[in-house]
Amino acid sequence: MEVSGLPLSASQRAKLASAGYTTLSSLSSISSQHLARDLNVSNEEALQILNVVMRTGRFSDLAGASIVAGAQSAWDMLLEEEHNKHITTSCGDLDKILGGGISCKEVTEIGGIPGIGKTQLGIQLAINVQIPFDYGGLGGKAIYIDTEGSFMAERVFQVAEGCIEDMLKLNVSQLKDLETLKEKMHPNTFLANIFYFRACSYTEQIAVINHLEKFVSEHKDVRIVVIDSVTFHFRQDFEDMALRTRLLSGMASKLMKLAKQFSLAVVILNQVTMKFIDGSFQLTLALGDSWSHACTNRVILYWNGNERHAYIDKSPSLRSQSAPYAVTSKGIRDVVSNCKRIRMM
Amino acid sequence: MTLTPENLVSHLPVKKCTLGCPILDGLLGGGGIPCNSITEIFGESGCGKTQLCLQLLLSAQLPHSLGGLSASSLYLHSELPFPLRRLHHLSTTILNHNNNNPLDNILVRPLHSADDLLSLLLRLDSLLLLSPSPLPIKLIVIDSIAVLFRSEFDNSPAELRRRSNLFFRIAGMLKMQARRFGLAVVVTNQVVDLVESEGFRVGNLGGMWSSGRRVGAALGMAWASCVNSRLFLSRSDEVVGREGDGELRVRTRRRIHVVFAPHLPEGSCEYQILREGVFGVRL
Repeated sequence: MEVSGLPLSASQRAKLASAGYTTLSSLSSISSQHLARDLNVSNEEALQILNVVMRTGRFSDLAGASIVAGAQSAWDMLLEEEHNKHITTSCGDLDKILGGGISCKEVTEIGGIPGIGKTQLGIQLAINVQIPFDYGGLGGKAIYIDTEGSFMAERVFQVAEGCIEDMLKLNVSQLKDLETLKEKMHPNTFLANIFYFRACSYTEQIAVINHLEKFVSEHKDVRIVVIDSVTFHFRQDFEDMALRTRLLSGMASKLMKLAKQFSLAVVILNQVTMKFIDGSFQLTLALGDSWSHACTNRVILYWNGNERHAYIDKSPSLRSQSAPYAVTSKGIRDVVSNCKRIRMM
Repeated sequence: MTLTPENLVSHLPVKKCTLGCPILDGLLGGGGIPCNSITEIFGESGCGKTQLCLQLLLSAQLPHSLGGLSASSLYLHSELPFPLRRLHHLSTTILNHNNNNPLDNILVRPLHSADDLLSLLLRLDSLLLLSPSPLPIKLIVIDSIAVLFRSEFDNSPAELRRRSNLFFRIAGMLKMQARRFGLAVVVTNQVVDLVESEGFRVGNLGGMWSSGRRVGAALGMAWASCVNSRLFLSRSDEVVGREGDGELRVRTRRRIHVVFAPHLPEGSCEYQILREGVFGVRL
């Protein structure tokens, strides 16, 4: 949006233009002192200009200012993406191929065969989203929708312990804080910050997802929603496959909207199925072709020899590449290569 | 269901049913088989699946202070005949302190087909609410699930789809009841032979071997997606020497492996089947 469209006096607009401030985004991250100097006006006047910019900025649509209500320029989107937060997976290699971790504002689908570590990754993210700002985290809360009954509190406790242990290690230099930190960070606090819903049928699953918008608007600190798994209740007898497709795509669009509206990450875990392709059975993610378009990002977990690997199968912004990860007693971590292991011994 | 989230701290400690052996319980993270969850035990015939199930039926009756569920159990068997004598014998060794008749707390029902299991599950509510046994039912054992499915279906894609639909319905109902009533659910499964190039790796073990055969769990990927935890019982025969008359002396070594479980790391331990029951061996 242009500065010329702002409800400012003509002389103020002229001063802004001659100083090179032509778009709103150019004024979005500037201090009043800086602006006062550039425009050669008083600090108060600069502050008043910035207030106008704030009020009319991206939060409202001036009549006629934008052709499509709620539209964003690509420039604004780029800026936003640079500020987009990520939730670490606790595995450096995995974070690297994900562009820093699981992206907020986006829907990421993660699939793989039983025992590959889908639930483990889900639990890890529900813990890691709570890492405080001071430690580079989001200091947020998590919603966990469990459809399979594999989310076990004792495992969440272990992963929380592992996460706290790693944070304390980072902090050894500041021994003063250590005791207060230890008090503040009890695994039970992490458990209490996960809103856990158990859905025992597909109707319950849909009810919870429909309820999310209201719930999140009352709990604005929620930064991730994990669904473990989206699949289980939808693989039972659905006589009406069109109904199934409709329910699934309705769910996907609700989740996509939720991610954008509240700047939170949605992680959907999916199972695999055997598909009869070209005369042989092959592994593919479940729920069929129409579902495969529902999520923004798709990550596939698989065995590569004795190592677990993750592969970016689909993403608008990430390259298709794979990285190894490990499931340890503390949670998801980097693979410790053999030579390192030997050196440690 | 309510749309209020649960407090996870109240889930701790997770309720479990002891296997009646501290070493085996230790492999399962301490405490034994978890409630609100389906645990599958698979292995070839004669590996001790049924033995372990019978032991569990009895240890479930132990009071909470001894690691049990203080509960009755429902034993659904598809392999005949029901090993009543063995159960009776085990009851004297495992529950020797108990005055009541432990067999009163075990409800036994044969299963004839997958549909039979399904219709039973649909009527499970009334059985769980109005248990004819003195203690409430907190353990369901299905021994074995594989028999119900291995004969009835052929290998066409349509039949396989019908079969996997049934898996998910059965598992869905079991999980729902497990959750409502706090049940531990144990299901046994058989093995299938795999050739080298065949099959996808499922879980911690690159290859699973039993009696020199490369094996996998029966019922395929769909059923594997239905269970929460999977345990594998393997056996191997080892020649330990020669008898005086030239006969080979063979010793059977048995191991129980964690193939996958949401709460457990990779692990395994050796076990023995004795007159008194199944016991882990600490090496």
